[in-house]
Amino acid sequence: MIFSIIREDTFWKILLFVHFLLAVGLLAAVTLQAVAVLMPARQVAGGFIDRSPVPAASYAALIAVVYVLQALMGAWIYIKYRTYVRIPMEELRHFWTVGSFELKEHVVTMGLGLLPAYWYFWQPPASAEYPSARKWVTIFLALCVWYSFIVGHVANDFRGVGS
Amino acid sequence: MTQTLDAGGGFSGLDSSPAKGATTREGARFATFAITFGIAFPLLYTVYERLNWPLFTYHPVLGNLDFWRQSAGVGPPMFWYGWIVLAAASAFVVACSAMLVSGYWLRRATVFCLALAVLWPAALTGLRIFIVDWATFDADFLNSVWVAAIPAFVGAAAATYYLPARLADRLWTSWLLIVPIGGLVVLGYSLLQPWFLR
Repeated sequence: MIFSIIREDTFWKILLFVHFLLAVGLLAAVTLQAVAVLMPARQVAGGFIDRSPVPAASYAALIAVVYVLQALMGAWIYIKYRTYVRIPMEELRHFWTVGSFELKEHVVTMGLGLLPAYWYFWQPPASAEYPSARKWVTIFLALCVWYSFIVGHVANDFRGVGS
Repeated sequence: MTQTLDAGGGFSGLDSSPAKGATTREGARFATFAITFGIAFPLLYTVYERLNWPLFTYHPVLGNLDFWRQSAGVGPPMFWYGWIVLAAASAFVVACSAMLVSGYWLRRATVFCLALAVLWPAALTGLRIFIVDWATFDADFLNSVWVAAIPAFVGAAAATYYLPARLADRLWTSWLLIVPIGGLVVLGYSLLQPWFLR
């Protein structure tokens, strides 16, 4: 059993820290992609239209994989949150924090459901056939990640790493 | 920074070579699967959450898994995993089935299901308001999901019938955003009383 090597609360804090590191990576990747799809194509000399600086399709696969890993990691840590964090949060009447975290569960889930379509829209030739859907699904996913990151950070400040 | 993502952007779906034709057919089938899954999953998740239909309940204190919904036990029950798994499994079946029907009927069926998902709870709410505020007779027999189903099915069928085919086509990928955002509005609203307005 792993708890014979390290203390239980240390184990959960390590998991939470890994969750945070993955979150930072996912946030950076999906934000870069969302900003890129929002940038218009550039007109360059000679009448050619340069493509907007959108990262390659393989980037979408990476984001989808990290998103799933993050969701699985979050689902694991959620067990500890439900018993160790949420109950004292309710007792101390931090209702906005609890409610925001409840909404975070739903936001993450909605993002999960969009991942197959998101990945597909970034693969050629679909990336050219569905530019609008690709753009808005990417932005929605970025907003999901941002919301989850902020709310997760607030919950961590209540009872987590460094709190 | 110039990207190379759309290097295949010039690929024509009309290319007649057998290999590319097969790739296009596979791509179209996956597109149907992915888009249908992206529409069905948030819709079903919202429905299961609102009806509290988890496939299983996890009890974190005991580490036990129980089939379906089990509220009683030691410590708080966790339904979230059960909603996700049930919604994912259902949406997978729906998305696989979608690959078997034509695009025309798929778009129509999507409109019907989404209209039904809105009209059914709306009809039930309307009936309940009518019973409490308007009825001058004992109308309690109207307080039933099956009574509310009648106007909901009629309304959804009418919406499906009268929606122009071109609009149904244009809405097809838009549902990927409309349904999750609508689901989040419903789920967020349900959190107002227990948490945000407490």
